[in-house]
Amino acid sequence: MATDRYTGLFFILFGVVLYAVIVPWQAETVEYGWLRPRTLPRVLAVVLVLCGLALVWRPVGDARPGNLHWGRAIAFAAVLVGGLVLMTRLGFVWTAPVMALALMWLAHERRALWLVLGVVGMPALIWFTVAIMLERPLP
Amino acid sequence: MPEIEIILAGLGDAFQPVTLLFVLAGVALGQFVGAVPGIGPVMAMAIAIPFTFGMDPLAGIGFLVGVNKGGLVGGAIPAVLMNTPGTPDAAATAFDGYPLAKQGKPLKATKMALYSSVTGDTFSDIVLITVSAPLAILALKMGPVEVLGVMLLAFAVIAGLMGASLIKGAIAIALGLLAAMVGTDPEHATPRFIFGNFELYDGLPLASVAIGMLAISELLRRLSETSGRPRPAIALPRHQPRADRSVSWAEYWGCRFTIARGAVIGTILGALPGIGSTAAAFMSYASAKAASKQPASFGKGNLHGIAATEAANSSVMGANMIPLLTLGIPGSVSAALIISAFMIHGVQPGPFLFEQQGRLIYGLFGAMIIANMLNLLVGQLGLRFWARVITAPEPFIFASALLMCFVGVSLASGGLFGVGVMLVFALLAFVMSALGLSVVVFIIAFFLGPRLEISLSQTLALLNGDPLKLLNYPVALVLMALAAVTAVMLARRRDRGHDADENSPSKPDA
Repeated sequence: MATDRYTGLFFILFGVVLYAVIVPWQAETVEYGWLRPRTLPRVLAVVLVLCGLALVWRPVGDARPGNLHWGRAIAFAAVLVGGLVLMTRLGFVWTAPVMALALMWLAHERRALWLVLGVVGMPALIWFTVAIMLERPLP
Repeated sequence: MPEIEIILAGLGDAFQPVTLLFVLAGVALGQFVGAVPGIGPVMAMAIAIPFTFGMDPLAGIGFLVGVNKGGLVGGAIPAVLMNTPGTPDAAATAFDGYPLAKQGKPLKATKMALYSSVTGDTFSDIVLITVSAPLAILALKMGPVEVLGVMLLAFAVIAGLMGASLIKGAIAIALGLLAAMVGTDPEHATPRFIFGNFELYDGLPLASVAIGMLAISELLRRLSETSGRPRPAIALPRHQPRADRSVSWAEYWGCRFTIARGAVIGTILGALPGIGSTAAAFMSYASAKAASKQPASFGKGNLHGIAATEAANSSVMGANMIPLLTLGIPGSVSAALIISAFMIHGVQPGPFLFEQQGRLIYGLFGAMIIANMLNLLVGQLGLRFWARVITAPEPFIFASALLMCFVGVSLASGGLFGVGVMLVFALLAFVMSALGLSVVVFIIAFFLGPRLEISLSQTLALLNGDPLKLLNYPVALVLMALAAVTAVMLARRRDRGHDADENSPSKPDA
């Protein structure tokens, strides 16, 4: 129940910021036409505020944030973000094995055969399929 | 109408060994690339077009059709086995396919996807062959007001997917529509919500959002749950009963109305340029759930869910060819690629196509039907291979799937910016799931959003502020009335279900 109330408060705040700050900042002012660039986003901002109010007033109670392993999920997400940053600098060929190793190690895989298959075999297969067979540039 | 000898000669051409071989190669390639998340049949067709330049026109176009049809089947494989849709239109297949695979029945789930996909595809091909011309004229009469009616009906139908909370469903729709507004606004072409990123001028990449929200977030969740000794991604019992490995005739026949409904939805939406197979798949899934006597079983491994989605997304392919062959209007990206292949071979699609190139067109129709049969054959062999692959340990499968998603999305969206978008939406989906907000409803709203805004803008311009002018659009009025009736019916059904849940002694703690 409390999670829903906080969610409701967040959407009230988000709706207000969207209406008053983001839409004027990120959508042009146009004085003609039937459906102006700001019309629908502002309608949606109002909908979000109303829904937020409704959630605060009458929470649904089906939110289950406690069911997730947030710490481990953040660790895996960090590997993915790190992999993306590394890929922009070093490219797929150098990054993919490191990223695969980090992911598999974090997921408790310690068997040499599977590690070799995941760290060397799969990146090599992707490289062969995309760069050689399909002749498309890898990131 | 071409003479009977031209029709027979065309169909005979389709059975030439060279044509058969290229259609088979196309189907096999399509199933392979369709199973790689993010690559999909469209990219495979784009790559393959230059290779068809030196081929006989029928063999070349038959090859491309084979790639497209094979890709539609292939897209369902990772959706079912890894909860990672190979193509966005297979996203809804994962809702029931993956739970069934987790129950140790991956072959059953993939076979149902294969059978319903081939059935839906064959249905739309038959419609294309028999009544394409009148349907194309009807599709051409669907102007912006009628398309707005279709969009409103689609939104009314997806209300059936909202779950118990109308408020949370509305939030998910609002967020999805908001994400769809990133890019240029359709009426004035001014930038909106791009925050200085010029890559966002064309909007958020569809593949990034779909794969991020459906695949990456799920992979993150599954990876975060790994502990101790790694398990197989999907455990298959050593001696699996036949009933768990295959789809019986009774099970297939039991889904006949679901498949038929999906095929009709896919064929109608496919004949309308620009709506696409993803919308058809979600609409069919939602309508199957709404029509079901056990809607609560959807999302938990119901065969009807797989059948509805696959029949609809595959039947779009044949229907896409209706405006293409009769009017020269491509209904989708894949149809646009086929039109370019026609032009490479000196064939101009349009109203005179049947008159001038009747033999080629009937040869193509024959190739399409053959491709469906070959899809069934290649699929039967390929599915066993994929089902074995998925019994590898979770860390290997998940790490491989993540790498494939990185590469696939990077290829589909033209660079690593799309991968960044994918990760942002993966995290958003992760948080949304924790808060009880429907990711599925978000994605449907995101898919339909741009089309809704364009048709709304055009409708308002056409009506010029006078709602009474709607009376000049009877088809649109019928569609809008149907949307209203559907919304009311689904709301009542939800209330009844909610009351039943509250009175039930086994109600989960809410």
